[in-house]
Amino acid sequence: MTAFETVIGLEVHVELATKSKIFCSCTNGSDAEPNTHVCPACCGMPGMLPVANRQVINLGMTAGMMLNCHINRTTTFDKKSYYYPDLPASYQTTQWFAPIAVNGYVTIQTEDGPKDIRVKQIHMEEDAGKLVHDNLTYTTLVDFNRTSVPLIEIVSQPDLRSADEVVAYLERLRSLLRFAKVSGARMEKGTMRADVNLSVRPAGSTVLGVRTEMKNMASIAAIRRAIEYETARHIDAIENGTEELVQETRGWDDDAGKSFAMRNKETAGDYRYFPDPNIMPVVIDDEWYDQIRASLPELPEVKLERYVAQVGLSDYDAGILAQSRAFCDCFEGAMAVGAAPKEAANWIITNCTGILNKRGLTSEDLPVPGRALGQLIGLVNDGKVSSANGKRLLEALFDLDSRGESVPEDMAAFAEAEGLVNSSDTGALEAVVAAVIAADPETAQAYRDGREKALNPLFGACMKQLKGKCDTQVLRSLLIAELKK
Amino acid sequence: MDRDALLGLERLNQLALTPEEQDEMLAFFAARETDWESLAQVDTANVERMVHVRPMVNVLREDVPAQPFSREDLLAQAPESMDGYWQVPRVLQ
Amino acid sequence: MSENTLFITENPCNRTAGRPVIGLDDLILTQDAATSAGSKMLAGFKSLFEARVVERLREAGYDIAGKANIGEFGFDFLGESSYFGPVVDADGHLATATAKLLMDSSVDAVVGLEVNGAQARSAALAGQVHLKPTYGCVSRFGTVAVACSGETVDITARSTEDVQQVLDVLAGHDDADGTSLPARECVRVTAAGFAEAAGAGEAFAAPITHVKVARGLMDAADADTKQLMEAAIQALSSEGVDITDMASETDALFAVANLAWNILMCAELCNNVNRFEGMKYGYHTEKYQTIDELYTKSRTEAFGYLTKAAILYGSEVLATGNYERCYDKSLRIRRLVSEAFSNEFARGASAGNTAGQTAILLPACAKRAYSLADVEANPYLAFEENRFTAPAAITGLPAVTAGGVQLIGSAFSDVALLRLANILPADCAGKEA
Repeated sequence: MTAFETVIGLEVHVELATKSKIFCSCTNGSDAEPNTHVCPACCGMPGMLPVANRQVINLGMTAGMMLNCHINRTTTFDKKSYYYPDLPASYQTTQWFAPIAVNGYVTIQTEDGPKDIRVKQIHMEEDAGKLVHDNLTYTTLVDFNRTSVPLIEIVSQPDLRSADEVVAYLERLRSLLRFAKVSGARMEKGTMRADVNLSVRPAGSTVLGVRTEMKNMASIAAIRRAIEYETARHIDAIENGTEELVQETRGWDDDAGKSFAMRNKETAGDYRYFPDPNIMPVVIDDEWYDQIRASLPELPEVKLERYVAQVGLSDYDAGILAQSRAFCDCFEGAMAVGAAPKEAANWIITNCTGILNKRGLTSEDLPVPGRALGQLIGLVNDGKVSSANGKRLLEALFDLDSRGESVPEDMAAFAEAEGLVNSSDTGALEAVVAAVIAADPETAQAYRDGREKALNPLFGACMKQLKGKCDTQVLRSLLIAELKK
Repeated sequence: MDRDALLGLERLNQLALTPEEQDEMLAFFAARETDWESLAQVDTANVERMVHVRPMVNVLREDVPAQPFSREDLLAQAPESMDGYWQVPRVLQ
Repeated sequence: MSENTLFITENPCNRTAGRPVIGLDDLILTQDAATSAGSKMLAGFKSLFEARVVERLREAGYDIAGKANIGEFGFDFLGESSYFGPVVDADGHLATATAKLLMDSSVDAVVGLEVNGAQARSAALAGQVHLKPTYGCVSRFGTVAVACSGETVDITARSTEDVQQVLDVLAGHDDADGTSLPARECVRVTAAGFAEAAGAGEAFAAPITHVKVARGLMDAADADTKQLMEAAIQALSSEGVDITDMASETDALFAVANLAWNILMCAELCNNVNRFEGMKYGYHTEKYQTIDELYTKSRTEAFGYLTKAAILYGSEVLATGNYERCYDKSLRIRRLVSEAFSNEFARGASAGNTAGQTAILLPACAKRAYSLADVEANPYLAFEENRFTAPAAITGLPAVTAGGVQLIGSAFSDVALLRLANILPADCAGKEA
């Protein structure tokens, strides 16, 4: 029984987080009505010329640096021709001769320790449109919203050897790209897509076997299943001659748990690459290069170590925060305005996460700026806002964001406006305390007679009347003092 | 360039020549091969490509979205459209 | 299609007496009139926006008379491949809509897109004045793209003054065109900008005092054309212009420049017309079952033979096996031609007149008249006789055609070229309408 080695290379397409498309000013957005983010340029109509989006180059450089690549200081765009209905000009503008970044690596953790997966290159290109297959009319409907959305394609060397390694690589890529705000990198939203190039060979051989390419895996879990299936299929074919392996593109049917041969979208023809005459070369001088390098974020593992060693968080808490750039930014922002680290961490890990989950959002969607959280924590600690109302205040910040409104600078004023501030009117408190005692003399007497727990219902009644808007310590002291009179 | 290669070239470019046109085209391509030989005579060993005739770099625009065209206008001349989409015969995966 | 269609469409706006009138060739997009690019594929196509040059003309108070008939995608010899039919004059010679519209004074100037020399040839045969400006000075935003690395918005008129007047309106930077030069460079081809540069002693703004003759190309022309060239040389000489010959190496390079331009032009054309497939707009075939049929039948039915030849040739020169010896080679030839021009412009004159700059004198085409029969006998004239216009096309240098001959100057010397062209004998080229 031969032992086989699986050899895998990945081509990962990532949508860049820019506001507009790569060569025209249409909106780079999602979930819009079909053909509403389009113009004559990205619809393949004659007359408009491509003008490159500076931010795309910035993010391309950022990605290159995050993946330890050499940045090509002169980078150019080229045309790749083929016919398909989702390609309105019947060519894609991409980078063939001089991609933005080459020869990098991503370090993953494996059972045998850290392993570097080499990145062959990163190039910038435009996305194609979307096809919707309508079964009623037996036609295909074409939506160009996604045409010309900026992408980077990250091409790895065939250094991966298992589904585990592929998963680790993808998760690491995703983390780095999100951390650097290059992309949201969400597979379920299609902002990160991976094509898997897989072959097998007898262990110890240096010759590569027949390679198949798999596409359309909608999640990392699906990729794992696809790799496991395809590896088995290759081995079966080689050992038992069940089928002849052919170099081809295959789709993955997750429901059926099988891969299937796809009709090649680009009919195995020559792509006729040539330099785009309308787009001038991009030359990155030292100033630009240094500016991007300075903008790179601290790596997640560096943050984790720092949170544990210098800030004193537990490994667990630091680990959760370090998974998300938004969590880290919020945490550090809160600390910057004086919040205690453990409290800030807790508010994020427990309260914020709770609200995010309830709203079906992810950690990267956290809309609370660190300074706002810091101020909020301060208000609760100072007794200006009760703990319960503090959580309501947090929800109110989420609501602001979903309405597209910005978070105010002064959280105290905001709390006031939301009616969540504790009453500082001692007179009002005294009145309520007096009223509650008068309304329930038996429980009051029980407390005076030594039953400590009798305080609770009285306290509860006061809180109810005050709608929770009071400093609980102050209320408790007032109540006890009044009872002891 | 022979007839088979020409057929492949036609397919790649979504064209279908008539047999007469193919004869014409093959003669045309034969003449072009002579052109390529003439070009090969020119020594370009140490000459760099010139993609752009005027030297400029970094012609870039700022990342500001704008949508001045409506879907109605863009689809107005579509031969076949449905529900805001361009429409074509069913494309097989 | 009937012969002699001059205007494809006429603009609904009424011509205002006393206002200059411009014709646009049918590669310039307009909103109120269709743009068909001389092709069945785009017949009746309504653009959603106007070309930048059209905006500038309207703002400057010009009336746009309509769209002039041109060959399919503008790269043919003399408009013979137009879907709307060729323009043939009374004695059976191929003319162009541009030439006729100027001759009968329907318009004061025609603004078009010069892809492969058709407009220069047209002006040479009709005794009119044509300018292909320095590449990058006039925005290509809103033109139907064919051969982007070299094509330029061009101007044809009855006099150099008229051409300059229109150029002053059109020249300028445009953010929407990624090949548009910075504003301070674009203004160099306006009369005012040029005058300022001359005052500052800029080389491109010096008067043209030396002219070098492209003997190789002159020898490739017929006797009548040679005579025209001799007359031009005489006229220039008697005005004190120093006349010498180009170096023979330059001659040799010019002899193959069109082979390289054909490759670049066809490759870019192929790529630019890939988008026309019957799905999104424009012509589409009536009967089809699959998308492959839709694309193939629409394109086959809508493109003329010459366009198909250009598409297939362009596709072939980009094939992996051919790329290096064809497309890549041509990009290097472009650099050689460009350097050759620089050398010619730099080399001092033979005697006296050491101030001033140099221009190249050459024919615009090989004969003084062409018939439909000429084109029918050789459908590929556009790829062979463009040897005269290819040197300017492939380098983006400015070229003026006047008095039946062509002058090419250094970048931004457009105004100087137009001034020099005034010396050329106008009547010896005259052709009746």
